[in-house]
Amino acid sequence: MQRPVSTLSLGSSVIVKLVSNGFQFSADLLHLTALQLRKETGLTQQEALEVLQAVGRGEGGGGGASMTALDLLQKEEELRSIVTFSSQLDTALGGGIPVGKTTEICGVPGIGKTQLCLQLAVDVQVPQCFGGVGGQALFIDTEGSFIVERAVDIATATVQHCSLLAEDSEQREAVTTFTVETILSNMFVVRCRDYVELLAEIHLLPNFLSQHPRVRLLVIDSVASPFRQLFDDMSQRTRLLNGLAQQLISTATSRDIAVVMTNHMTTRVQGSHSQHVPALGDSWGHAPTIRLLLHWAGARRLASIFKSPGHADATVQYQITGDGFRDVEQSEQPESKRPRTETDQSAASQRDDGVS
Amino acid sequence: MVVLREGMCPGLDEDLVRDLRAADIKTVEDLVASDTEALAQKCSVSYKALFAIRRVLLAQHTAFPVSGADLYEELLSSTAIISTGNPSLDKLLDSGLYTGEITELSGGPGSGKSQVCFGVAAHISYQLKQGVIYIDTTGGLTASRLLQMLQTETSNKEEQMEALQRIRIFRLFDVFSLLECLYSLQGSGLQQASVGGGSVKAVIVDSVSAVISPLLGGKYNEGMSLMIQVARVLKTMAKDFNVATLVTNHVTRGGSGEVQPGLGVSWSHIPRTRILLERMEKTTISHSSLRSATLIKSSRQPCHIKEEFDLQWWSRSKDGSSGKRKLDDTDS
Repeated sequence: MQRPVSTLSLGSSVIVKLVSNGFQFSADLLHLTALQLRKETGLTQQEALEVLQAVGRGEGGGGGASMTALDLLQKEEELRSIVTFSSQLDTALGGGIPVGKTTEICGVPGIGKTQLCLQLAVDVQVPQCFGGVGGQALFIDTEGSFIVERAVDIATATVQHCSLLAEDSEQREAVTTFTVETILSNMFVVRCRDYVELLAEIHLLPNFLSQHPRVRLLVIDSVASPFRQLFDDMSQRTRLLNGLAQQLISTATSRDIAVVMTNHMTTRVQGSHSQHVPALGDSWGHAPTIRLLLHWAGARRLASIFKSPGHADATVQYQITGDGFRDVEQSEQPESKRPRTETDQSAASQRDDGVS
Repeated sequence: MVVLREGMCPGLDEDLVRDLRAADIKTVEDLVASDTEALAQKCSVSYKALFAIRRVLLAQHTAFPVSGADLYEELLSSTAIISTGNPSLDKLLDSGLYTGEITELSGGPGSGKSQVCFGVAAHISYQLKQGVIYIDTTGGLTASRLLQMLQTETSNKEEQMEALQRIRIFRLFDVFSLLECLYSLQGSGLQQASVGGGSVKAVIVDSVSAVISPLLGGKYNEGMSLMIQVARVLKTMAKDFNVATLVTNHVTRGGSGEVQPGLGVSWSHIPRTRILLERMEKTTISHSSLRSATLIKSSRQPCHIKEEFDLQWWSRSKDGSSGKRKLDDTDS
């Protein structure tokens, strides 16, 4: 079967010109030079070159970059996760928030979504000799919820924690440069006020990431608020959200970045009963690879894994302290299921020993 | 139709192509549709020669009828029914995935679509020793989970690695790269992609809606055409290379809140068999791995059969100590 030119990634005016001049399949364009193509179709030099490039890519590509599942497994094992400082949640997630995947944190106001984000933005910078990732963080703030005082609190606690743990000379040396000032200087905050700004920022992200190759965490707090404002055309909103999701996934995979987004909760009424569900609708639910649900059970805060391709559903209890996101003391733990996924158990537990 | 080029068939030389072009005949379609006699006069070639060219071109671009008996013979010899490895799903699918057909799984977030895909991939690569092409468009493919599924099948590390090598992964996040990948897979005849012995028997696209839905909605119409192109190439590939194609789709809610597969009515004609996966319970927060599967389109079974199954099936422990065995594996 031949490939129609309409499947090439070209502007619609170019495609119309090609088709109206008889070029319906990419094979028809293979033997042409840019000059011939211009003469035949009246395209500009720039457009003609683009067309030929697109055709060449399709023919010579051989299906793009592919790998076997074994290669992927090795890659997954190389990438470290970002610890949350709640060892129970880390265990349930197999070591923390995975790098190279998208994670969504949903929850009602005040449950601790932003606190967890701030905690992660600090945690991503934990030096590698402590079992951390040693990266930088980009924080896209759409709600004005980035509170630098809290970041300082959490950073101070983390620095203190690491300096207490430092044993060998390498770790002691790492601690001297791991200070609150360096943590804050490695945290980039972008304030986006509406969805246009957010989409523009995501669009420009590749440039930023090329300039800052050490960024390992992208936080969007929250993805819901710009999209829950007035939208005339709901199908337009769905389209933009789906596009955003694909861009984020592609960034996460190609640059080995953990993407963490927060989302609101909303009430869905079905007949006589109603339930709390994450906002932005059903189709957005497919966007994040991992979905964490933070919720109250009486006065306790619980975190549930609602969706994850590699982990069983689980619920753990946590608390928000002055130092940040933490485990609850052993005595008051709820009954939680042991996760069935523990592929690199040894690595995960080692990491837990290292930092918490 | 195709643009006329010299050497496409005997008699069609450079001069003639130029003359035809001057007479505004650029494609095979133009030539076939034109009045041969008038054209022969216009381009000053013999009517006979032009008629011969026309016949050859028609023969080149036509499809041939095949008798039903031959088709049946071919069907019997080439169609395979590939078990998904899960008895409940096999029951719904009338014993498994059929090669040459597109089977669709749809369901909400966390309903187990990807898990079923992983399970099928692991089953085909390990039990049937066949190749699998896995196109991941959501970043959800987790090799450690695949390994875990394989670990419940065998504790032999070498076999696990071999099975993993038979699964070829493409990670593509927009529709143009998906199309590029599908066309070039088709061009190279699929087999180039197979590794470690065994031919490719299944193509899994998880999920097809993730790349298409950003193009639908609003005032944009190209999305529809691209969706149909994806469908066409998937269908052709399934048929021509005799592979079972498994795609996943998201769900949307209808006006009265009922769940239905996404991508609309046009897409609903594409898959031969559709299955809707749902969580068993209604609350948002619960940890059952039980899922229900409902057959919503099928040409072999009555619709709306419902089966229940456990996502843990693929990581079931045969001796009740899989956790321990896994640890031993990592230690050794």
